[in-house]
Amino acid sequence: MSDVPLTGGMARVGGRAPGGDAVSVFERHRAELRASKRGWTIFAFAAFAICLGASIWISNFFPDRLAAGLPRIFEYFGTVIPDLQWDVLFEGRAADGRAVAGSITYWYTDFWTYAVLIWETILMAMTATLLGASVAFVLSFPAAANLAPNSWLYWFSRRFLEICRGIPEILLALVFVFMIGIGPLAGVLAIAIHTAGALGKLFAEVNENASSRPIEGIAAVGGNWPEQMAYGVVPQVSPNFFSYAMLRFEINVRASSIIGFVGAGGIGQELNRVISFYSDDRVMAVLILVVVTVTVIDLISERIRHTIIGRENF
Amino acid sequence: MSMASIDTLTDAHIDTVRMQHPGAFATPRGQIRRWAPLAIAVIYVIVTMWYFEFGRLLDASERVLPLLRNFVVWRDMDTWAYGQIYVGISQTLAMAFLGTLLGTLGSLVVGFLAAKNVMPFGIVRQIVRRFLDILRGIDQLVWGLVFVRAVGLGPLAGVLAIFISDLGTLSKLYSEAIENIDKKQVEGIRATGAGPLSVIRYGYIPQVLPVFISQSLYFLESNTRSATILGIVGAGGIGMLIIERFRASLYDQVAFIVVNVLVLIFLIDWLSKRVRLWAIGDKTER
Repeated sequence: MSDVPLTGGMARVGGRAPGGDAVSVFERHRAELRASKRGWTIFAFAAFAICLGASIWISNFFPDRLAAGLPRIFEYFGTVIPDLQWDVLFEGRAADGRAVAGSITYWYTDFWTYAVLIWETILMAMTATLLGASVAFVLSFPAAANLAPNSWLYWFSRRFLEICRGIPEILLALVFVFMIGIGPLAGVLAIAIHTAGALGKLFAEVNENASSRPIEGIAAVGGNWPEQMAYGVVPQVSPNFFSYAMLRFEINVRASSIIGFVGAGGIGQELNRVISFYSDDRVMAVLILVVVTVTVIDLISERIRHTIIGRENF
Repeated sequence: MSMASIDTLTDAHIDTVRMQHPGAFATPRGQIRRWAPLAIAVIYVIVTMWYFEFGRLLDASERVLPLLRNFVVWRDMDTWAYGQIYVGISQTLAMAFLGTLLGTLGSLVVGFLAAKNVMPFGIVRQIVRRFLDILRGIDQLVWGLVFVRAVGLGPLAGVLAIFISDLGTLSKLYSEAIENIDKKQVEGIRATGAGPLSVIRYGYIPQVLPVFISQSLYFLESNTRSATILGIVGAGGIGMLIIERFRASLYDQVAFIVVNVLVLIFLIDWLSKRVRLWAIGDKTER
């Protein structure tokens, strides 16, 4: 059957095999491929099934527990919904300072406590981002493979950044709360350390992609290493640095809103207290404020990023 | 303007050039505009650090050194409850695995509902998207705390927290992947008269599956990290042991657990990278 036109790799596999036309050769080859692939598929499925079984067993994720838990979840979410009445919704405080039940004023009785804590949360995120970003900025030059002045400094700054971002913020906050006491300072330091590690890596990657020509230019007119970095690298990378720092700021607002769970300041402390001790509309009140804050900060930061980046690039 | 060599350049030359090209020289105002943001940032940091009582860091030094020593010096290692620690670590892994799996399954459905090219009704899409925004807006740790209140202490709350926050993020990523696919295959399947489910199965799934798998594996990685933390609010896993040991001042054990967790996370990263390469390489070859 050698006159049948064969195409592709099949011809070489077994085009002239005895008793095999092109179609059967193709089918045979396909069957072999399928068989070899089936082995892997069965292996993957078996591994997956074992993982699934083991994790269900270890985490006690049994259907009966889930079935018992599910109604309670809905029950809980039912209790945190505020009981607002339309006719008194915008009622202010009465003359004796009492709010009418069912009004927004009643729901948000502690609004100013929350507002102060949210403000503190944002301040914490900003300070931590600035502190972390400045450490990351300094270390990103020795941590970039193409800029590092010597291999020892390169190794040291890389490992340092890895350690900084390896430990979860909230664990660091736990340690700091123990060392310096309850308050926002512990949270700021914890977030700043984590930020330094995370941003340092990103900054170093940006530096590694920087063009070497300006650096060579500065070196050619006699600039030393800090001058090469300041006049050769920084102008190229600063828009990217800024953009990454702003993105990190958005992440840090989220982080600082929960870091209070271990006593490290911000709205998280109030959130933890409200969720752990009450199951009423206060939970919803704080959660809504947190979500609104995070969303608004995200929007503002996105605006700023686009304006700055647009201006720098075009 | 005559060219002058660098030796013969006088102040007069420089002044003429400055007159002709004022933009090429630094001006006091330009300097201020350049350095003002930096100065504001520095002042801001100093003021807030003062507001956050930075001085407490200096007062704490007598507590810092013993603490650091306790972290590093491991005493009575044979009395530690290793079994409990490794059960906690495996519980963390199990929570991350189950949570990601449930999140992936849920996102498979919700992702299609939120994709512009699959979901014809704009109103449904908008509702689903806003719902996902809310799920994403609330942090995983807060979900953990809420579920601890709802279903009690233990890994079940952690699994649910991971599931809910993954549902929010993965569905968004999935729906974006679905919106970016090639229309031709879908039209081809539709042209054969297939129903909507068959169109999804043979038109969409083969194109988006590699993206889905790689994203879910990324989430498995990051959920392993976050599952260690979820225990701090009581949602099961190794975090519960960490905070328990910390409160009992067993800092050496805390350090031991943290080192174990870091090694575990490193291993998971490596493993997930291998699986990802395997799964995606496999899909693109076909």
